[in-house]
Amino acid sequence: MNNLMAIPFKEWAEDQLYFLGGLGYLIKDCLKEGFKKPYYGSLLIEQIYQVGYRSFPLVLVTSGAIGMVMALQFGYGLEKFGGKPYVPRLVASTILREIGPMFTSLMFAARVGAGIASEIGSMVVTQQIDAIRALGTSPIKKIVIPRVLACLIVLPLLAALANVIGNLGGLVVGSVELNIDAQFYLRRVLETSNIKDYMSGFGKTFFFALFIAIPSCYFGLNVKNGTQEVGVATRKAVVTSSLLILVGDFFLAKIFWIIEKWL
Amino acid sequence: MAVIEVKNFKKSFGSKVIHEDVSFYVKKGECLGLVGGSGTGKSVLLRSLIGLEKPDSGSIEINGIEVSKYKESQWVLLRKKVAYAFQGGALFDSMTVAQNLAYPLREHSHLTSHEMKLRIESQLNDFGLAGTELLYPSEISGGMQKRVGLARAMMLEPEVILYDEPTAGLDPYNTKRIQELILNLKRKGVTAILVTHDMPTAFAVCDKFAFLKDKVIKEQGTPDQLKGKPDSLIQQFIEGNVL
Repeated sequence: MNNLMAIPFKEWAEDQLYFLGGLGYLIKDCLKEGFKKPYYGSLLIEQIYQVGYRSFPLVLVTSGAIGMVMALQFGYGLEKFGGKPYVPRLVASTILREIGPMFTSLMFAARVGAGIASEIGSMVVTQQIDAIRALGTSPIKKIVIPRVLACLIVLPLLAALANVIGNLGGLVVGSVELNIDAQFYLRRVLETSNIKDYMSGFGKTFFFALFIAIPSCYFGLNVKNGTQEVGVATRKAVVTSSLLILVGDFFLAKIFWIIEKWL
Repeated sequence: MAVIEVKNFKKSFGSKVIHEDVSFYVKKGECLGLVGGSGTGKSVLLRSLIGLEKPDSGSIEINGIEVSKYKESQWVLLRKKVAYAFQGGALFDSMTVAQNLAYPLREHSHLTSHEMKLRIESQLNDFGLAGTELLYPSEISGGMQKRVGLARAMMLEPEVILYDEPTAGLDPYNTKRIQELILNLKRKGVTAILVTHDMPTAFAVCDKFAFLKDKVIKEQGTPDQLKGKPDSLIQQFIEGNVL
């Protein structure tokens, strides 16, 4: 039994070390080449459109629905204790600190991370990445950096938007279902939420953007054995990004609490 | 002087040894035919000459400069002079034919948009691709994709061209056309290495051959020398009876 377990664990451990090493090299290459000319502004704009503008409807629906569900659950749950007036504060704080950025990032990982890994993987299979290199250009500059920067620019903006839409969803359910006055709800949200709530969530999205973009590019670039592996790379990209977001969120939340105490 | 010289080249992928001790050279303006059965590592060798694969040991000299230990940034400069024509074309599928051809010019030349347009038109005419400028790779045939790939590789007028099976899968008319294009470049003094299974094309354009087998170069020589070799496998290969 021990022997049977030993082989998969060894392979798994090797894979993880290989992944971490590869990720390290990719980050090093990005940092090294990111500051060198030429810069490809048009590729960055194209990626901002692809990963940002086209993710907008998904974020809109997801965050609105989450805000509505949370208001409903908090409202019915607190009703018996006479705690309905606390619903705006609870919904706002939870959305701003955690749910808004995290759900936006998870949706972003599913949509954009999968897209990046499969697109780059397909380019590897059809030798387009080799062609970029053979034509005297760098795939890091042409493919990886525009995608990483686009994610870094777009995800915080989408999370900010998700915060607003999520709270609006809460407001709609609060006033329609829970009979909380809409003006009271809005006033409570604005009075009780502070910049620290907002910055804690907003700050995390920069890290989440990196957790999504870099592993997705890595898995895409490391496709080796044909189209079947494109699917594997896509799956790995989404799973890894999601895990990094969920696990990383805990540590980032702790760090932001420590920073808040200092301030 | 040799433009390309490979000495004691070794390459393996994991435990699978591809090349054990490969050495050859190509002089300026020469075209070397790199032939051998499927899976003998011809394309791997060709890819190594442009830094797409790294050798395990041995040396690769281009214009007398050892390049096998080059970093990626150094290869980027060299690849402006050494072009690689991919077997399937390796066209960027998000770009039109004209944009594919413009790619190397935009990256490495200082031509104006008008000059680029003229250059692209002329190249498309030379390759019998006029009228395909605005089409995407998915909208043209495999043979046309291959020709666009060749045209793109030649846009910067390189000193060396590495052809990876440029005629595979083409009809006789287009095969002839590619042969003529290679011969035209040869007349201009362009050094070339041609990986192919298409022996009529190889005999039409190559000055000498290197025959890869069992991880090494089994035979080297001019077309006549190769034809005169007693090795039955080489003879069968030349006559197209095997592989």
